[in-house]
Amino acid sequence: MSSATAAVTPVRRLRRRSPGHTLTRTSGLSLGIAVTWFSLLVLIPLSALVVTAAGGGWDAYASTLTSPQAWAAIRLTVGQSVVVTLVNIVIGTVIAWVLVRDRFFGKRALDVVIDIPFALPTIVAGLVLLSLYGPNSPLGLHWANTERAVTLALAFVTLPFIVRTVQPVLEELDTDVEEAAASLGATGLTTFRRVILPSLVPAIAAGAALSFARAISEYGSLVLLSGNLPFRTEVVSVRVLSFIEGGNTAAAAALASIMLFVALVVIVALDLLQRRVSRRG
Amino acid sequence: MSIEINNVTKTWGDFVALDDVTVSLPTGQLTALLGPSGGGKSTLLRVIAGLETADTGTVSIEGVDATGLPAQKRNVGFVFQHYAVFKHMTVAKNVAFGLEIRKKPKEQVAARVEELLKLVHLSQFGHRLPAQLSGGQRQRMALARALAVEPSVLLLDEPFGALDAKVRKELRDWLRRLHDEVPVTTVFVTHDQEEAMEVADEIVVINEGRVEQVGTPDELYETPANDFVMSFLGDVTQIAGVSLRPHDVDVSTTPILAGSTEGTISRLLKVGFEVRLNVLTVAGDDVHVVLSRAEARSLDLREGSTVWVTAAPGAAVVPSMRFAG
Repeated sequence: MSSATAAVTPVRRLRRRSPGHTLTRTSGLSLGIAVTWFSLLVLIPLSALVVTAAGGGWDAYASTLTSPQAWAAIRLTVGQSVVVTLVNIVIGTVIAWVLVRDRFFGKRALDVVIDIPFALPTIVAGLVLLSLYGPNSPLGLHWANTERAVTLALAFVTLPFIVRTVQPVLEELDTDVEEAAASLGATGLTTFRRVILPSLVPAIAAGAALSFARAISEYGSLVLLSGNLPFRTEVVSVRVLSFIEGGNTAAAAALASIMLFVALVVIVALDLLQRRVSRRG
Repeated sequence: MSIEINNVTKTWGDFVALDDVTVSLPTGQLTALLGPSGGGKSTLLRVIAGLETADTGTVSIEGVDATGLPAQKRNVGFVFQHYAVFKHMTVAKNVAFGLEIRKKPKEQVAARVEELLKLVHLSQFGHRLPAQLSGGQRQRMALARALAVEPSVLLLDEPFGALDAKVRKELRDWLRRLHDEVPVTTVFVTHDQEEAMEVADEIVVINEGRVEQVGTPDELYETPANDFVMSFLGDVTQIAGVSLRPHDVDVSTTPILAGSTEGTISRLLKVGFEVRLNVLTVAGDDVHVVLSRAEARSLDLREGSTVWVTAAPGAAVVPSMRFAG
């Protein structure tokens, strides 16, 4: 590059094709910072985890996986996370709809309160749930130490995600599109299914990914209420902790790496769905 | 008459959008609802479509009382100012929407969509997404979508309002030709008098929730019912308590014209083929006059000349608002 001005056009044209070779000094610097930060915080610890897990060899993996207790924890965690995410898809969309489209007393307050499960320290969330659904439940619902306690705690902490991803998209949606559908003869239900829902799918998918990721990693809110009973209410994060407390780091790492894999699969799947839909619209 | 509107009133709180409106819109014609923004013309269109319900009054479409019918059952096609496209559907799917809802056989839908896309010159774009079209193309797609269900009336709400001037003009001419090809009763809302005059068979002038006048473009221009209609449809000037068009003012350099008023040319401007004068009369009026270059030359007019002005014989004249109150 002999002169700066001469370089401008080819650089621009090239950048679209291969972003790797044509960074300016500033963008090179910021990319460097981003990658270093991300590596220190995420990539290196994750690789260390995988290395530790692999250090035990296949045997450690096999024995961890075939251990009925660990397997039960994985089943419970992934199963409940899926259930809670599905529930959130419906309820979260409904709440977002109500917040955007309806007018009622206390709407502003509800809009603020939605974030509380997200903002509370998770152990406090656990306490809240325990006081309402625990042994001294004023409602007469004694869900402590049952699988329901896990569902409840996960539903509590993941509630805001889909509400908050769908809400802005719904606000942006033009009502004249619905009026156009109506004047073409579509009923309210048909309009929702064929016109509104497709526009919400990317937001719902994004919210579902966050909700699922949060659910499989949850610890604080459910330790109090679930009782951590092996085979019944013990989730993966609790199992990992017990492995570590028992000095079995390799098994802990093996179990953790399996969850890492599950998280990756779900997030990539939802991302693909989102891309597919948003490419269409 | 295709659309009969009787004593329709619509209010939002204190704001009266439509004030006891009664008007009939003719079958098979292209009618413009013309008026300033906020005058109630869009509300009237939405009441016809069933997108708003009138507080009082009745609407009938093709002889059927539609007052209580929801938008879905009125069989009207509606085109919105901002296109209201279904973003996630291809152009062809957008157009097919109304037909698919009616559960028409697939081949029939495909054939009709193809026919409509051809009509709106979008045959090549059927597989594209609306985001890949220009504004004008999107509006043509919206028009095809509305026509697909063979509506008894087609309603367009400021259909070209979001487009730039050049495309606007093209689409305007094209809408006129389309209407001659597909003579469905069409009503469109506009605040652009030139658009209404060029395209419409009949114009309904609406202001402050009331119908000011109904007539052909010529009738409205030649015999405006009042000062508002006159000033909305073109330039207006005042001489001695009457409003008239600047090109309907006769100018002479001697007081030979009966009832003429004396004045001085305060400003003379030559723009293209016309000459624009400001004449300050002795009565204190600032009269605008438009002459051809030839007329101005033959009278040898210049700034400061004394002239006599009056309404030309046969000119459209209405009492001006200042005097009529």
